[in-house]
Amino acid sequence: MARRRRNGAALGACSQLTRRRFVRNGVLGAAALAVGGMPRAARAADEVNFWATGTLDIGDDGWKTVADESGVKVNFTDNGNDPGPVVAKLVVGNANDIYDTGGLQGGSEKELARRGLIVPWDLSQIPNYATLWPWAKDIPYLTYDGKIYGIPTVINADSIIALRDKAPSVDSYGVIFDPKLKGKTAMEDAWINSVIFAAIYLKNSENAKIAEPGNLTADELGLVMEFLIRHKRNGQFRTFWNGWEQGLQLVANQEVWVMTGWEPIVYAARKRGVDCYYAVPKEGYEAWGNNTVLLKGAVNRGRAQAAHRLVNALLSGFYGCKLGMMRGYVVPTDNNMAYAAAHANACDPTQVRELAEHVKKKFTGKVYWQNTRPDNFQLYETWWQRLRNA
Amino acid sequence: MSVDPTVTRHTSGGRLLFGTIAALCLAIMYAPVLYLLLASLNPDAQLGLAPPSRYSLKWYLALLTDRRLADALAESTLVGLATAAVATPIGLSAALAYRAMTRLRGLFLLVVLSAMLVPGAIAGLGLSAVLRVLGLTPSWFTVTIGHLLWTLPFAAIVSLIGLSAVKPSTIAAARDLGAGPVRAFLDITLPLIGANLVSSFIFAFLLSLSEHARAYYLVGRQNTLPLYMFGAMNSGASPTIYAFSGAVIVVSVVVVAVLFAGLARQRSEGRGVSSKAG
Amino acid sequence: MHARWPTTFLLAVPSLAVLVGLGFVPLALMATWSFWSFDPDTYWIKPVWSLASYAALLEDGRATVFLRTAGLAALTTAVSTLLAVPAATVVGLLSGPRRAALLLALFTIPFFTSGLVRAFAWRLVLGRQGVVNDALISLGIVQAPVEWLLFSDFAVVLGMVAAYLPFAIIPIVLAFARIEQSVIRASQDLGAGFWTMFSTIVLPLVMPGIVAGFLFVFVVALGTSMETQLLGGAGASSISIMINDVLRVVNFPLAFAIATAVVALLIVLITIANRAFRLSRLFESIGI
Repeated sequence: MARRRRNGAALGACSQLTRRRFVRNGVLGAAALAVGGMPRAARAADEVNFWATGTLDIGDDGWKTVADESGVKVNFTDNGNDPGPVVAKLVVGNANDIYDTGGLQGGSEKELARRGLIVPWDLSQIPNYATLWPWAKDIPYLTYDGKIYGIPTVINADSIIALRDKAPSVDSYGVIFDPKLKGKTAMEDAWINSVIFAAIYLKNSENAKIAEPGNLTADELGLVMEFLIRHKRNGQFRTFWNGWEQGLQLVANQEVWVMTGWEPIVYAARKRGVDCYYAVPKEGYEAWGNNTVLLKGAVNRGRAQAAHRLVNALLSGFYGCKLGMMRGYVVPTDNNMAYAAAHANACDPTQVRELAEHVKKKFTGKVYWQNTRPDNFQLYETWWQRLRNA
Repeated sequence: MSVDPTVTRHTSGGRLLFGTIAALCLAIMYAPVLYLLLASLNPDAQLGLAPPSRYSLKWYLALLTDRRLADALAESTLVGLATAAVATPIGLSAALAYRAMTRLRGLFLLVVLSAMLVPGAIAGLGLSAVLRVLGLTPSWFTVTIGHLLWTLPFAAIVSLIGLSAVKPSTIAAARDLGAGPVRAFLDITLPLIGANLVSSFIFAFLLSLSEHARAYYLVGRQNTLPLYMFGAMNSGASPTIYAFSGAVIVVSVVVVAVLFAGLARQRSEGRGVSSKAG
Repeated sequence: MHARWPTTFLLAVPSLAVLVGLGFVPLALMATWSFWSFDPDTYWIKPVWSLASYAALLEDGRATVFLRTAGLAALTTAVSTLLAVPAATVVGLLSGPRRAALLLALFTIPFFTSGLVRAFAWRLVLGRQGVVNDALISLGIVQAPVEWLLFSDFAVVLGMVAAYLPFAIIPIVLAFARIEQSVIRASQDLGAGFWTMFSTIVLPLVMPGIVAGFLFVFVVALGTSMETQLLGGAGASSISIMINDVLRVVNFPLAFAIATAVVALLIVLITIANRAFRLSRLFESIGI
């Protein structure tokens, strides 16, 4: 079984080549990577199958540039962003036979590491790791057992999307639960986000006894969920939304006037002519990180080194600029600005800098971290069922 | 077959009602489809209707260069054709077996139907675990296996309907004339259920083309079309996916129209010949 | 006339090989694992036998999800069948071969497009600023947009009917092959009106198609999540959505328990229907 090349003979030969080269060049290779890329002649055509949230995709042109600059060809597949099927496919299914790196919302790293489905990153192969914003590196769930399992790739802080002509001055999550807006609000159909938003609101504006909105105790969870159930029963929510297009459509067609949601929806809606804005809530933001993990399968297939080069490339500047321009998502490193300054015709340096400043500013205020695995995570699901049936 | 036209007067009330209901069915089925067709002519990035003066083929042209959609479509077509090709004959054999059985019939039917009763995500997950142990690389082949399980009950039941239209006296006559059971089947039964087998094939193909819950856990690196669509909807779709639906409708309607123009010409020529001869 | 058992056995082998060989092993695995327990240390399953997952099915409104999903599926099936029988009769009885083939093609074509995109389009047709509301307002029938058109059970059932009507229509059309022209003609010669002919000849003979269509639509409507998620109200749930929710928190035993319960309940339903309506006789050939 170990000798079988799962991805065809040609690729197998490629990864053999890479491994031999790595062993031979060792230190020299690492140093060359740090400088910013191996000389073209020495670069093997490494491939990495990257299985990540679709919003991290920069399109075939974008990945081609990444390949040109780093020597790693990226085969991007959308994993659906839902941690449920992703984890299931890793644990029970065949994801480790197909993909080399994965990208998903943080929180599941511990269990995947415990089951040996992901392996720690070797930071010596990721020189750009040092350029990550310090608080991004410090997110607790990225580390397990003293080793780094997740490299933060995209970070943002979420709040409320509001239509300017219908709700001109939203500054609190209370607007989502405001009876005057009954039937005109929405939240995401995911306890990962919606429970935190409700908890943030209750903690800061209704002085509920909640310690950590991102990690509620059983009692706190009951409090928050009863609140949501009450509002659902009153018909407060027009609907819950699932996924980009659904969320965008609700806003663009004025199906709802305010909803909790992802910031890029605001940018996309504006491009489509909808006058909406992202609120700055006094209760604070929900912070989240989408992180890249190294799958065990990559090691088995000899692609670990290429995977490290990929992650290093994601942090090296082009990816951050491109993603920022396409979506408004930020890769938490200052390399983006350096890259934009050096390649002003491809990326607008002002825009990149403003985006970075905007995100950093959000994080200087109150933020509460999202976690796909709070301590009581199975209880969250039970309560969400009750909400569904209310 | 159709009702004798000489008695249409007595059936006109029924025909009117039934015709209206059929039209209603078409209206319900085509409402979203027509909306997509019209909305895909809207050059704006936001899905919606536009005044005809602004219609543009922008998204259809973009469709031609969308490689990822083309790859997903190719994968789905491959899986669909393979699934239908295997499900149709096996479904037929299951239907024949059912009809030949007596006491074990109920149990056999349950076994045949079992594959359609399992929720898709769990069926896909379980199958992928088993196939993994067997050492199969995830690819179109593993998806086909999953879809085969899903479509087999449908194909079997469609075949059962078809077989129930074959009169026993016809088979008996063939047997009396000396044909063995296989010969009787090949020469008599098979031609009689030909249209039914084609329907079974198309049914299985369409079921496979639209299935995503199982496919999620069984695909290799190349997504099938429904998975591609889900990904696009979840992470930001270019309106090319709506243009794709519009294109499918237009192409299908054109194909049907062409086939019918050809058939109409054939029939009128045939009538001309026979009237000359008669 | 029944074939000898070796022939029967040979005929059954291919389907059994696929369904039992490939299908039963995962099913048995799922069913077994549903009786084991969640292991919080490994986030997986430990072989400790327990009925906890099945007990959990009776709590937190999970049983309600079963009932609501089945209810909506049954409603969809009933509406689809009521619409499909007349539509299929138009194709199978009231049209010449050309028009029949054309209609059949028309009924099938939408299914070539993506169901997800079609369901999404319903949001734009039924929404506050959608086609229907715009028409109603411009015609003066209502003053403000009708809210319950979308994000309601109405929208979910409408979406499902629109998506799964072909499943109901096609089997009935195929069953029309069982009706011979001579029988229809004979009934007309005897002076039977349309309704008499329809109820005494057509309906009984196409019953296998009606039952097949019923089964197809029900099973597919029971297992879908698309229409509910896109067109249902806040957090509307279905069995598939619940399974995904449970998988999201890696409560594998509970997810497998839900699936096993669905299979078991459907088997019971089918067995009851089989006995009550003598379904096994339904697919016999007619005539001598």
